Amino acid sequence: MITKSHVKHIASLACLELSEDDLQEFTVQFNSILSYFDELSEIKEAPEKDKVRFNNLRADEVLPSLPQEEALSNAPKTEDGYFKGPRIL
Amino acid sequence: MSHVERVEELLTLITKSNLNAYITVDPVGAREQAEGADLGELDGKLAGVPVAVKDAISTKGLRTTCASRMLENYVPVYDAFVVKRLREEGAIIVGKTNMDEFSMGTSTETSYFGTCRNPWDVSRVPGGSSGGSAAALASFEADMALGSDTGGSIRCPASFCGIVGLKPTYGRVSRFGLVSYGNSLEQIGPMARTVQECALLFEVLAGYDPRDNTCIDIPVPSYSKLLDRELKGLKIGVPKEFFGEGIDPDVERAVWDSINILENVGVSYEEVDLPHLKHSLSSYYIEAMCEASSNLARYCGIIYGYRVQKDHDWHTTFSQSRSLGFGKEVKRRILLGTYALSAGYYDKYYMKALAARSLIRNDFQRAFKHYDAMVAPTMPYVAFKIGEKIEDPLSLYLVDINTVPINIANVPSLSVPCGFKNGLPIGMQIIGDMFDESMLFNIAYQFERCTNFNKYSKAQL
Repeated sequence: MITKSHVKHIASLACLELSEDDLQEFTVQFNSILSYFDELSEIKEAPEKDKVRFNNLRADEVLPSLPQEEALSNAPKTEDGYFKGPRIL
Repeated sequence: MSHVERVEELLTLITKSNLNAYITVDPVGAREQAEGADLGELDGKLAGVPVAVKDAISTKGLRTTCASRMLENYVPVYDAFVVKRLREEGAIIVGKTNMDEFSMGTSTETSYFGTCRNPWDVSRVPGGSSGGSAAALASFEADMALGSDTGGSIRCPASFCGIVGLKPTYGRVSRFGLVSYGNSLEQIGPMARTVQECALLFEVLAGYDPRDNTCIDIPVPSYSKLLDRELKGLKIGVPKEFFGEGIDPDVERAVWDSINILENVGVSYEEVDLPHLKHSLSSYYIEAMCEASSNLARYCGIIYGYRVQKDHDWHTTFSQSRSLGFGKEVKRRILLGTYALSAGYYDKYYMKALAARSLIRNDFQRAFKHYDAMVAPTMPYVAFKIGEKIEDPLSLYLVDINTVPINIANVPSLSVPCGFKNGLPIGMQIIGDMFDESMLFNIAYQFERCTNFNKYSKAQL
């Protein structure tokens, strides 16, 4: 059973603020979704390594990256060629 | 008709349309490319073909929103690998199609830019998440389209809109430039009105790209030229699990009729059991949500994306930006994924989901030792009404019962039109072994020649 305070805690971990209505709704829905997932408990086997997938890493060499102006072009706030975050202090 | 005339016709159709198939149209770019095509400046396999691109795929200089407020003003500074391939082969990029926000949905109702409608009946959903691409094709607002498929997002709308769509083998198409949702499951794939066009588009998309480490470097067959082979002697499996509880008897009948059509051209079939498919939905949703919670952590409003005007501390600024930038379904999946990965629940959910995935994958691999392909209904029913399921997320997740096993097993599946119910299209998926897309196109092409389910008439629309 997952409670409203669980959902609130997870939301904080995931950097999401929820309204009281969302919190209420999600708590009800999460209980029904998670109880559906409980059917997996009958599986006793451990996962096998996926042998058919690939992980082809390219050689570790320096390649051209985005010019600074382009890298900054979608940033909501910039200053002197830097991304601008919120204040720390 | 010249390319300029076709593009003008298409732009007029889009302007007059009530489907909401596009989020962003690029009339200037499309006209310019069409003029070039008429002057013979474009060459390649897709020279002058108007192609629509799902808005989850990056297009340099053309807004890419992923149907989210989070990316409402995001303009990529680079092209996705597949978009670069389209340009190299002379395609005209018409615009960016509507979808479920961050590809999370089966109905294209979760788009920040409004619901997309099904051209066959505007009170119904086009399917999702690549609903805009399918709707645009069925209404002639594009001639080819790109979608992406994490758990059915190409095949579901293909089925609901009566077009052809392929979810490729994992690793066959580069995901570079695709906005990630469930990256161990998703592939970009081709969508078209005919099997031949779909095969041609796939020829362009498939191939090695060193910027996607899961992409494999093996030759790309000329899929569109391998369609004429006779099917005589092929053996297909019909997995019982795809005809389970809740399937519409008319859909079941249409698929069996189609199997009989294949029998008439020399294909034999057997029913087959894939016993672990009962775990598909849980396995898929847990993995996809876990991957989403990690992938979408990048949206914090600093480097790109929505950001609240007034800054607070970091945590509050991130949280407020994300809360206002993401829609409800996206939040739901991030939260469930965060929960399933959190201490104490990781073994119960995530590891079990991976274990189920191994079992399902083995079911498919066993079956392909005996069969050249498998055939099943793409969706358990025809397109449902807008609003019918959106309030109950679990009921909407269950709709994906026949599409998610394919992504879990990494195999390819091609959805083709195979009938109608009350004027609404029914889709059948042809499922193949890894990297055996040419078999799927071959079977689908021969099937299409025996039927007329994809003979569209604009009067119908």
